[in-house]
Amino acid sequence: MASLNHTITSKPSVHKALFLKASLFHYNNSKPTFISHSKRSSPFFTTTCKLKSPQDSKKNQTNLTNKILLSEVAPPPPPLAEEGGNEKVGGKAGSNGSGGVMGLVKRLPRKVLAVLSNLPLAIGEMFAVAALMALVFKCFVAFTFCESGFCAVELRRTFIDQGEAPDFYFQKYPEDNPFLGFFTWRWVLTLGFDHVYSSPIFLGILALLGTSLMACTYTTQIPLVKVARRWNFMHSSDAIRKQEFSDTLPRASVKDLGVILMGSGYEVFLKGPSLYAFKGLAGRFAPIGVHLAMLLIMAGGTLSATGSFRGSVTVPQGLNFVVGDVLGPTGFLSSPTEAFNTEVHVNRFYMDYYDSGEVAQFHTDLSLYDLNGKEVLRKTISVNDPLRYGGITIYQTDWSFSALQILKDDEGPFNLAVAPLKINGDKKLFGTFLPIGDMNSENVKGISMLARDLQSIVLYDQEGKFVGVRRPNSKLPIEINGTKIVIEDAIGSSGLDLKTDPGVPIVYAGFGALMLTTCISYLSHAQIINCVLMLMHSSSLHIQKIWALQDGTAVVVGGKTNRAKAEFPDEMNRLLDQLPEIIESSSPK
Amino acid sequence: MIFSTLEHILTHISFSVVSIVITIHLITLLVDEIVGLYDSSEKGMMTTFFCITGLLITRWIYLGYLPLSNLYESLIFLSWSFSIIHMVPYFKKYKNYLNLNAITTPSAIFTQGFATSGLLTEMHQSEILVPALQSHWLMMHVSMMVLGYAALLCGSLLSLALLVITFRKFFSKINNLVNESFSLGEIQYVREKNNLLPNTFFLSSRNYYRFQLIQQLDLWSYRIISLGFIFLTIGILSGAVWANEAWGSYWNWDPKETWAFITWTLFSIYLHTRTNKNIESVNSAIVASMGFFIIWICYFGVNLLGIGLHSYGSFTLTSN
Repeated sequence: MASLNHTITSKPSVHKALFLKASLFHYNNSKPTFISHSKRSSPFFTTTCKLKSPQDSKKNQTNLTNKILLSEVAPPPPPLAEEGGNEKVGGKAGSNGSGGVMGLVKRLPRKVLAVLSNLPLAIGEMFAVAALMALVFKCFVAFTFCESGFCAVELRRTFIDQGEAPDFYFQKYPEDNPFLGFFTWRWVLTLGFDHVYSSPIFLGILALLGTSLMACTYTTQIPLVKVARRWNFMHSSDAIRKQEFSDTLPRASVKDLGVILMGSGYEVFLKGPSLYAFKGLAGRFAPIGVHLAMLLIMAGGTLSATGSFRGSVTVPQGLNFVVGDVLGPTGFLSSPTEAFNTEVHVNRFYMDYYDSGEVAQFHTDLSLYDLNGKEVLRKTISVNDPLRYGGITIYQTDWSFSALQILKDDEGPFNLAVAPLKINGDKKLFGTFLPIGDMNSENVKGISMLARDLQSIVLYDQEGKFVGVRRPNSKLPIEINGTKIVIEDAIGSSGLDLKTDPGVPIVYAGFGALMLTTCISYLSHAQIINCVLMLMHSSSLHIQKIWALQDGTAVVVGGKTNRAKAEFPDEMNRLLDQLPEIIESSSPK
Repeated sequence: MIFSTLEHILTHISFSVVSIVITIHLITLLVDEIVGLYDSSEKGMMTTFFCITGLLITRWIYLGYLPLSNLYESLIFLSWSFSIIHMVPYFKKYKNYLNLNAITTPSAIFTQGFATSGLLTEMHQSEILVPALQSHWLMMHVSMMVLGYAALLCGSLLSLALLVITFRKFFSKINNLVNESFSLGEIQYVREKNNLLPNTFFLSSRNYYRFQLIQQLDLWSYRIISLGFIFLTIGILSGAVWANEAWGSYWNWDPKETWAFITWTLFSIYLHTRTNKNIESVNSAIVASMGFFIIWICYFGVNLLGIGLHSYGSFTLTSN
């Protein structure tokens, strides 16, 4: 019964294969769009697999020869999906019985690929990434009307704050009064919303997006380039007329057109009466480049997250530290290097000021010493100008007040330790205290000194009254209740951030590639022109049909583009206008 | 001193010229189309463009750096970007460049009006550059970002207009307004069509015109958004490189960075929906118009909060 069934189906199936192949072939020419390609390829697949069901080894041979015949007609190499099919035929011959299972096993990754390269899925993933990021930081807008009628917009950050201790979330999202009826701290902590950017959900979606990128590049973009590169002649004028742009030139030669197209940057293939030309292969490669660049950035980012060291330190001027003591690993790939033994000495920390008294720039003069105590590098760093040595980068990020050096009644100098009093953003305030009189009494009184920066010190007496302002280095003494004080120097400490990041070169390569490929894919306007021409009086296969339509020599031109659709016809018309007209026509009627 | 006077004069000229241009638009919209007036509105946009350019250059000269360090300056730059988007198709002599008129002119006046309004008076004075901003990347990063915002805002506004026209039943009133303002550019074209076709086909020609308009809007929003997307990409990447120089890491998940990334993701979704022919232009227009709000959150909302590393452009609203 199986054989009977087979004999009935075998012939149509061969036909079907041919038909489908033709349709696929044609399809690739006409519609190089993302999703439809994968859709189209899967039915074709199932058909080829059906052909190779165990009963029909003989038919496989005829099928194969048919295919070869067909590819003789069309010079291009077979498309990707078909290669897979042929491979499977070979595999079948070897393993005989278990072909079905093997086919399934081999098919599975392809199905996964097809699913992953699905565009709506990718779009959904991108939406998910965006939504997760937006969730963390959502603005809550409340309009409050003031008495004057002025409408003030009050914006508050009311969504999930990041990186707080669990207690914070217990309070903010209590179980007895859930947000939106269901949202409690359990949700926040289980889903990792307290640290979204490193939560498994976020990273998982990013990874999924990465695999989608790869799958899309493999299953859709690369075949598109192959299709574009193929010699892709069309042998029927009807097919050409179906193109988005088509025109019939009554008296013309296809060779002249070839020359003109070559002159304007097309790659031209001529075979007998048919011509195929294309331009804008860069535009085909560029989206692949964009995806690869994204993958490169993702890979670099992963390496950064798993293989870097970070640390920050506040060092008073004149002291030193060892790099390795400050840096702490961020992931399991972090491994220290030789340069970690370097000792850093802060020679000097100083600030530049504007005339208005505001800080213009911070500078730290650093010296690097190796294990033998030899100075290997010396550089003055500032914000926007870090120091790089052996993979370690040292940034100037912060500053602090370390100590105040004073002379009391010409004695000293004494170093008074300075403490930060109120740190509110950039408005820093530091203070110190010089006790006067009996140190052992219960309430010690003395002189208070306050400073916002290293430039000027404000002094207050024992009663807390303002006395005066002195600049360090001014040598100008100040008398407070009989005590003469000279402020010798203000010693600052430099806040430094240190890091090693092996991912940076990869990420930067990705950045460069992304910028380049984005620009290229925009600039390659007139994308692919699939321009097929036919000369009427030649002996082609479909010549009869056309003879009925036209008389005399004629060139049918068809073209298409996938971008700049409005400009393409203009360009084609401009090109075709250059085509010389053949006066002498030798066509038999 | 002379510089600030000059700046003052230029601001006022450009602002009043844009107001006049908008008035002209309204007159042509509500009363009748007068060709002479229409031409003068074109000249007005030219004047505005040169005024804002002059304003930026003046500020540049006396500050010593490209004026992009706070919200006021970036708003002026945004306004300038709108006028440049307005100018570009004009120079390229596209037949249908007038299409953009209805979008760019009001955008320019609104941004400039906001920049020069009382809300931001304290910012008019040139501020000193904080240490982190003293870099050559400032020019590259901020100008690219603002150009990108301007282009993306224009594109998404065009998409919004497309949505309004498509769903005309739902908002017929607004639609009339938008339709009419766009018809300024198309009116000539439609008239030609009307002359060609017999009067009996008026209804179908009206439909045809609507179809044409939707096609035009779709095409232009796609073009402008893909241009803006490039600017945004370059802006974000140069910002990342700068952050690696100044803050110690190329990506800090700072609110502004996060929102810029959300914007970027959204518009890459838009560009992907455009590659698929099965997805209708209306759907991609919905994505693009979501982008309109996202950009405002990114550009403005984050500044309003004044948190994170990008707090240079922040300001506090005073209720009195």
